[in-house]
Amino acid sequence: MARTKAYAVGIALTGAALAAMVWSAGRPGHGMAARLVAHLAVVADAAFGDVAGWLRSGAADGQPDWASAAQDVWQGDADRGAALMVHYGCGSCHVIPGVTGARGSVGPGLGGFADRAYVGGVLPNEPAGLVRWLIDPPLHSPQTAMPDLGVDEADARDMAAYLYTLRGG
Amino acid sequence: MERDIPQSALDIYGAQSALEPAGFGAAIVFDLTFAMTVAFGTVFVGVMLLVWLAWRRDRPARHWWVWSGGIVLPVVSILVLMVASTAALVAMTRSDDTALVVDVTGHQFWWDLVYDPDGLAVRDANEMVLPAGRPVTLRLQSADVIHSFWVPSLSGKMDMIPGRVNTLTLTATEPGRYRGQCAEFCGLSHPRMAFEVVVLEPAAFDRWLIRTAGEARDAARPELLRGRQVFIDYGCAACHAVRGVATGARLGPDLTRVGARGSLGAGMWRMNQGNLAGWIADVGDMKPGAKMPSYNHLSGPDLRAVSAWLVSLK
Repeated sequence: MARTKAYAVGIALTGAALAAMVWSAGRPGHGMAARLVAHLAVVADAAFGDVAGWLRSGAADGQPDWASAAQDVWQGDADRGAALMVHYGCGSCHVIPGVTGARGSVGPGLGGFADRAYVGGVLPNEPAGLVRWLIDPPLHSPQTAMPDLGVDEADARDMAAYLYTLRGG
Repeated sequence: MERDIPQSALDIYGAQSALEPAGFGAAIVFDLTFAMTVAFGTVFVGVMLLVWLAWRRDRPARHWWVWSGGIVLPVVSILVLMVASTAALVAMTRSDDTALVVDVTGHQFWWDLVYDPDGLAVRDANEMVLPAGRPVTLRLQSADVIHSFWVPSLSGKMDMIPGRVNTLTLTATEPGRYRGQCAEFCGLSHPRMAFEVVVLEPAAFDRWLIRTAGEARDAARPELLRGRQVFIDYGCAACHAVRGVATGARLGPDLTRVGARGSLGAGMWRMNQGNLAGWIADVGDMKPGAKMPSYNHLSGPDLRAVSAWLVSLK
């Protein structure tokens, strides 16, 4: 009898802890629980999501999608990249699909950027080249009008990740 | 203390809201609105109850009800409202001889500011800095068409009419960053004629005013020196003043401390070199109808240099 009670208390406490985790996970960017849930999501994605995706795309026609794999930016967060583009004011010069207020016509539009061959006309359009360009454009193209915006490498990775989501321009 | 305030009002939700008063006038308006809403809500619910009662009974209403509900109640409530709103108006528009004076002139589509016009006469633009808890008298004028000055978080609005000076005395109570907006249609870019208001503690405000009265910061790097030269060579100084570099021009906003502002283009875009370069190269696209021409004939390095120099003016 006492053991049943202990089980009941244990289950109730576990339930309460889970509820607290879900509740705190729902609040943006707060607490260990949110990080844990995010981590679990990544693990689950790695374990099942990619396998499912791989089964669907790559293995089905016998051809993995090498093009997207080559544009996978290490530690790049595309959502944060889109927010950073608002922060750095990219939209004053570029049309960027999906970025608030980005409708400038000073520089080239960035729709379909993933399909371009070159960055700024000088660097090959692959993650390392794009990240280096974003950090210091005049270093690679001395006559460019695009200023050095003081972007650090982490921010450049996130913005590069976002630019590679723009396909088919 | 000053660092606690976000860099731009564009990053603050509710920076332009009459529901979050941070000034004397806005607080009065908010209280009056709240009291009126509650009072008239109560009256409305009461009347609906009486209608319901009247429908349930077959007897006609007594004369007493008609007199009290139809005449006495409206007369009394409207009288109370009139006295309260008149008192609020008197309190809000009371002038104060000891107040700091700021001349505010509306232009299509930006704001010219002169602090203490009869003394220090510090000219600035598009970002108003105010001392918390100290009354400030704004002398509102217009250089072209009718504009209207409105910072919902601080006070009521006041029209700016060509050929006359309207005064508005306001007292900001909470240090912070707020946003104002032109509230009278004034042309093509009227919706893009906003500004930021920074409320500082009085001591910090005094320091700010003294510092801003001085000349612009020196160009400390070769690129900045080149930017300053581009500013002079391309005739920017015909419209824009930068104290210590080119003074006197008043057709466009004073740029002596442009890089220190929270935003660019009169409260519209975050102040950074990216937006500033895009602005210089294509004003017509970012702010249709603005008088500044687009400087897309600058070479790339010149555009970078002049935008870097302007952002460094803090």
